[in-house]
Amino acid sequence: MSRRRAATSLALAAALIVAVHAEASHRPRMGGTLRFEIGASVNSLDPNAKPATFKEALARDEINWLLSETRKVITENEGAGAGGPFRVSDWEPGKRVVLVANENWPQGRPYLDSIEIQMARSAHDRLLDLDLDRADIVEIAPEEARRASERGVHVSVSQPDELLALVFLPSSEAADAEQQKIGEAVSRSIDRAAIVNFILQKEGEPAGGFLPQWSSGTAFLFSTATDPVAARNLWSEIGRSLKITLGYDASDSLEHSVAERISVDVRETGGAISVVPDGPAHSSKGEGARLVRLSMSSPNPREALAHFANELGPLAGAEFVAPPVDGGPQQIYDAERAMVNTYRVVPLVWLPRAYGLGPRVRDWKTPGPGEGWPFADVWLGDMK
Amino acid sequence: MTFRTKLFVVFMIALLSSVGVVSVGVTVATRRAFEESNRSHSEALVAQFEREFDRHKQDIVHRVQAIADAEATVRMAIDLSRPKSDVSVYVNDARGVSQSHQLDFLDFVGDDGSIISSNESPERFGYKIDWLTQPQDWAALGSFLTKVDTQDGPALGLMAVSVVRVGDKNMYVLGGERLGKDFLASLVLPTGMRALLYLNLDPSFQPANLVDENGPVSDGDRLATFIEQERQQPTRRTFKISWTSDAASAESFHELPLLGRQGELLGTLLIGNSQREAVLLERRILLLAVSVATMGLLFGLLLSWWGAARVTRPVRRLAEGARRVSEGNWNTRVEVRGRNEIAQLASAFNRMTEQLSEQRERLVQAERVAAWRELARRLAHELKNPLFPLQTTVENLQRAKEQSPEQFEEVFRESTGILLSEIDNLKIIVSRFSDFARMPQPELGPVNLNETVRGIVKLFESQFGAVGRPPITPELHLDENLPMIQVDEALLRRAIENLVLNAMDAMPSGGVLMLRTTHQDGGVDLEISDTGTGLTPEECERLFTPYYTTKQHGTGLGLAIVQSVISDHGGRISVESETGVGTSFHIHLPVKAPTARGEAIAPAPAPVPVPVEKA
Repeated sequence: MSRRRAATSLALAAALIVAVHAEASHRPRMGGTLRFEIGASVNSLDPNAKPATFKEALARDEINWLLSETRKVITENEGAGAGGPFRVSDWEPGKRVVLVANENWPQGRPYLDSIEIQMARSAHDRLLDLDLDRADIVEIAPEEARRASERGVHVSVSQPDELLALVFLPSSEAADAEQQKIGEAVSRSIDRAAIVNFILQKEGEPAGGFLPQWSSGTAFLFSTATDPVAARNLWSEIGRSLKITLGYDASDSLEHSVAERISVDVRETGGAISVVPDGPAHSSKGEGARLVRLSMSSPNPREALAHFANELGPLAGAEFVAPPVDGGPQQIYDAERAMVNTYRVVPLVWLPRAYGLGPRVRDWKTPGPGEGWPFADVWLGDMK
Repeated sequence: MTFRTKLFVVFMIALLSSVGVVSVGVTVATRRAFEESNRSHSEALVAQFEREFDRHKQDIVHRVQAIADAEATVRMAIDLSRPKSDVSVYVNDARGVSQSHQLDFLDFVGDDGSIISSNESPERFGYKIDWLTQPQDWAALGSFLTKVDTQDGPALGLMAVSVVRVGDKNMYVLGGERLGKDFLASLVLPTGMRALLYLNLDPSFQPANLVDENGPVSDGDRLATFIEQERQQPTRRTFKISWTSDAASAESFHELPLLGRQGELLGTLLIGNSQREAVLLERRILLLAVSVATMGLLFGLLLSWWGAARVTRPVRRLAEGARRVSEGNWNTRVEVRGRNEIAQLASAFNRMTEQLSEQRERLVQAERVAAWRELARRLAHELKNPLFPLQTTVENLQRAKEQSPEQFEEVFRESTGILLSEIDNLKIIVSRFSDFARMPQPELGPVNLNETVRGIVKLFESQFGAVGRPPITPELHLDENLPMIQVDEALLRRAIENLVLNAMDAMPSGGVLMLRTTHQDGGVDLEISDTGTGLTPEECERLFTPYYTTKQHGTGLGLAIVQSVISDHGGRISVESETGVGTSFHIHLPVKAPTARGEAIAPAPAPVPVPVEKA
């Protein structure tokens, strides 16, 4: 009997120790340096400086969000002046930035002592560093997320909140009506589903409008299907042989693949698009277009649409009208439809943000639309 | 040109002709041999290239088959055979597999012909390759050429197809190599050979489509004509092209059409074989031949010169002997060496000169005897005429003394007169012979021949129109530009006077006496013509022979003396005559009379009058 009691006592003690230990392992720990690698190269943290690429602009906003948490301040209206959870400790433009915890952050000091962000790392090197435990979190291209996950990497994928679109640059050669036909012919030629399924490996959504389905609920009203017959008819109506040049960010393999696919799709319907890395900045001769990537500034459809209208309108030389501030779903839809029907900007796909997480990372919450990297709540656990 | 020089020239011409013929023959033969060798070499190289090309094609077939046989490929085919399989997971597989198998092109194609994964055109996923699903024994076909769409535009691929069959579904593995500079660089080609590839991807010839292992070919336009011919009519061709004016830049090409599965021309392979080595070797051989020929010619030149000298030496000896003979050295003999024709000729020459010498000796003796006989006959004839009156007169004196002493005195006076007269005649005869025997040496001085002629005509003017005989009309045709001549005027005057007297004697019925002077060939000419009875040819031949005369009472010394005077002045005299028409004497005198030794004639101590004798 006593032996049974003793055994029971030992089992209870062991269970207690395990429970205590488990409790301790889930309890946030202070300290440590988180190593984070991204593909973009940020050369300036000045919000007014013109970035070289859209990806640089996105990365710069993310870093600034950590320094000031501007977007959160705006959205949550918690007041400004105290800065963000981190501040810059070391800065090598285009290569590396080290952020240290802001001891005076009103919401409490972050768990992490510091974050070391390595920039301009290739997708291959980022995944390799994650495998070799040289990085704790790495940015993963959406098209690589599936393969990385199959390799056993803990992948965090956000809601698709980044729009990849084709923007026609202002042209002096074609009339407005012809420009619209050209845009529509291109739009109807593109097989968006193939782009999502094959290039993005099903990480993303075809985009027919400027708001994703989860945000507006009306995205299904904007067709994403390819229509080769209609496209051929449109090319026939245009009549003359067009010389369309499609530029893309040469450092972005996704944009390259999408641009090549668009070229093939358009060629199959009778059009002609030549793909040019990093060009054209403007349409000097013939029709010019380029691929752009823009993040939703907010999960709010009206705000997001207004942001897209403000960003893409000047780029395409079109006057996009944002929905009224107090507008309802119908006004938002009408404004979105008006933007789509100009065909100066052709939405292609919605891209998620994907991150590969190392084994030490704890309490990583996938960022939502308009949110930056959630390092304020992340802490580092023990290696297992 | 001497005989030796002629012989040397003949030798040289023969030598040059021989060397030229041999050189041309060797050159032509060498060139043909080289061309034949080059052609054989090129064909061997082309055959080697084709073997290499075939090996490459087989290699591609094997690599594509290896991909199809790989476990991952089979698993992919099994997965794709399932209903609603997710093909998107394979979209990037072709890239890795193609790299591991070193293929430029690789497509995994589903049963319906849809591209599942493509290395060269990853963006073409989902599009169909219709011709791939058509019935075809791909294994038997092996590798083939086809046009491939890539991100850089259309390209030419050497492709192979392997089929992975799972159940009733096929999965196609379409792989190959890009035909371009990298493909050409991978070929193992012999030295001096290169391969060019024209990609027939455009409706017309495009220089940028002509590549070698380094990329687009510079001066590709030069091949446009040949490639265009190939485009019009695909067949194997050979041609040669010189890239520069230097023949060593020549390159022979074998043009091979590259046809697709349907027989369409997709490209042209140009296998170039540089002619540089062959041309340089040919040049070296020709240079060597020219050097040897030049040395041979130089050697032949010396040998010909020596040979000509050796061959002509006996001839020169003969010529020298003949010259000496002509100078009167009748005892000249030439050396006889050997028994050849020249030696025989030399022997004959020696015999000839020996016989000539003997005959001349006999002739001289005969002439001497004849002269003496003639002299004796003349003397007898001349002396006989005065002797006969002498004899008759003396006999008359004897008869008068014996038969008519009373008339003796008268006869004596007459007879002594006759005797003295005949004795004078005898003296004159003796004097003439004495003068002929003592011809004086000319005493030279400047003389105007025209003045001399005018003086002589004036002297004879009274005789031309003498009473009792038919008149003779003198005609003078004198060249007023006649140069002064160096002659003994007295001797010349007597010679001309002699000829004038002869002319007068030849015109007993009167006539015209013409005297003409001219100058030419560095001398002056005098012609004295009459319209008399003329002479026969036989008389003309012997006219200048001493003691020969056509007259009743001539001594036959007049024209002999004339010829002697003219000859002593370095001149010459000739006669032309025709019976019944007249006779012309032509005298040519040099401006400066030379001696027989080439020296000026020494002035004679005193002029001796020459008797004028009618011929």
